[in-house]
Amino acid sequence: MIRGKVLATVVLAFWQTCAYAQMNHQHASEAACNEAVLRCASKVTPAFSPDRTLWLAWMAGGQVSVASSKDHGHSFSEPVLVTKGRLNLDWGPDARPRIVVDRNGGIALAFSIFRDNAFNGQVLYTRSMDGGKSFAELRPITAGNDSQRFEALALDTDGSVFAAWLDKRNRVPAQQRGQKYEGAGLFFAFSKDGGATYSKSRLAQDNTCECCRLGLAFAGPSRPVIVFRNIFEGGVRDHAIMTFADPATPGELHRVSQDDWQISACPHHGPSLSISTGGTYHVTWYTNGKARKGLFYARSQDGGRTFSNPLPVGRADRSPSRPYVLAGPQGTAIVWKEFDGEKTTVNLMTSHDDGMTWSTPTTIAKTTDTSDHPLLVSDGRRVFLSWMTKADGYRFQPIEDEP
Amino acid sequence: MKRPLLAGVFLIAFLVSAPASETPPQLKPFERGSWQQLLRSHTGHPTIVHFWGVTCGPCKIELPLLGAFMKDHPAIDVVTISADLVPDLPGATRSMLEKANLSSAENWIFSDGFVERLRFEIDPAWQGDIPRTMLISRDGAITTIEGSADMRDVEKWSDQQLTVSR
Repeated sequence: MIRGKVLATVVLAFWQTCAYAQMNHQHASEAACNEAVLRCASKVTPAFSPDRTLWLAWMAGGQVSVASSKDHGHSFSEPVLVTKGRLNLDWGPDARPRIVVDRNGGIALAFSIFRDNAFNGQVLYTRSMDGGKSFAELRPITAGNDSQRFEALALDTDGSVFAAWLDKRNRVPAQQRGQKYEGAGLFFAFSKDGGATYSKSRLAQDNTCECCRLGLAFAGPSRPVIVFRNIFEGGVRDHAIMTFADPATPGELHRVSQDDWQISACPHHGPSLSISTGGTYHVTWYTNGKARKGLFYARSQDGGRTFSNPLPVGRADRSPSRPYVLAGPQGTAIVWKEFDGEKTTVNLMTSHDDGMTWSTPTTIAKTTDTSDHPLLVSDGRRVFLSWMTKADGYRFQPIEDEP
Repeated sequence: MKRPLLAGVFLIAFLVSAPASETPPQLKPFERGSWQQLLRSHTGHPTIVHFWGVTCGPCKIELPLLGAFMKDHPAIDVVTISADLVPDLPGATRSMLEKANLSSAENWIFSDGFVERLRFEIDPAWQGDIPRTMLISRDGAITTIEGSADMRDVEKWSDQQLTVSR
């Protein structure tokens, strides 16, 4: 009798463990499900084409897919798989597929995978020339075998594509010379054929922070601008900005802010950049520096040489994170996440005067489980929030309180 | 019929509870409430809690240093928590812990996709940067080291803790 009870107890415990393990697999994932469909996506990136079609590229079930919407996200075309089978996609918090669509309907796309068991990354790219019906075979953006991650794409006015990413190719040669090597190099390349082939990759800045997304925008035709977490003297991981003279010529490095965040770590929390038609640079970022902690915004009116005093963004007691700025057709908007211990909210503030003054923040979306970064995208008329959530699916909503 | 099953269950129970030094690192799922559980179980013991991740470059350098520290300081509880966002990599996590001689440490792995909530329970100000080390004194006072820890600082803290206990 006693033995029977012991057996029952142990078996129950064993069964519970198995049941827990099954439940935990779903619970532990940052995605709601494990297929390639949008509902299962962990990261979703939006882009509008010049004809105001919304395009999404997403990571789900180990694959990258693309679909489009003619009605601002109410309905989508049949998704097209960019990948042929499951890949070990880069799941770093700041990694996501990148997509740009040109005026001829050509789509350039890039994303990263982990190419080996040591989590060395590789940036792959592809393009579609038939309106997203099919994609060319995936190709590495550079021939190097050293880790590459955190690519960014932007479209120039002439239809050429500018790509930037973080690349560790200089690490081993430096170590062979007996030199200490920190971080990764900021590399770039450009494509004059809509993303079919890219130029030889070149170094813009060495020893930048290796695990944060890049902010990339154009200040005008042929003038890409990159904002990134740099590693300054003494291991200080503050933000820097570089305006290129042309897509092949990196410019001078300027510091966005003296936050003094000296840390030998992966912050996994990169900046955001947008440039208004008037030429004002808008930058948002996260720091935990000695000088300031939290999310901040600053603007530059001299092409990124100097920036305004950093403006704190969000409630410091609500763990504000993932700021994203967009200079839209009628004003500038910043969204970010806050967390109160139970739910995550997306908060918005807007500016009618090119970033000089800002509205009181308002909450525009919320969820009670994990979520992607909130992103802003414009069709040239309105600004929209794009936000993937595990519990509530994909959300695409106009910013009602648009500036 | 029942006996082989019972034997099997006990065998599993034995394997799980076998001395860690003879088995690969055991990974405890770190979920909602785990942090308070962890703090309670180490109450009164000087404890190092080290947050790291398999894709984090600086972590790869620091982890073996922590393994060496643990060997030299048996009186200090050493806890590691793999705090990468996607926790479905127990193989890589175990392998790195083993190489760093941390198999016998108390090893956890983030097992809740809602990492914001896990981090908030540990420290609302923590945005997920790793490595990160928390030194928890015998009296429960917590000192947080952001980024790679200077092992000399950890040694100094450890010496203080052991002096207090004498």
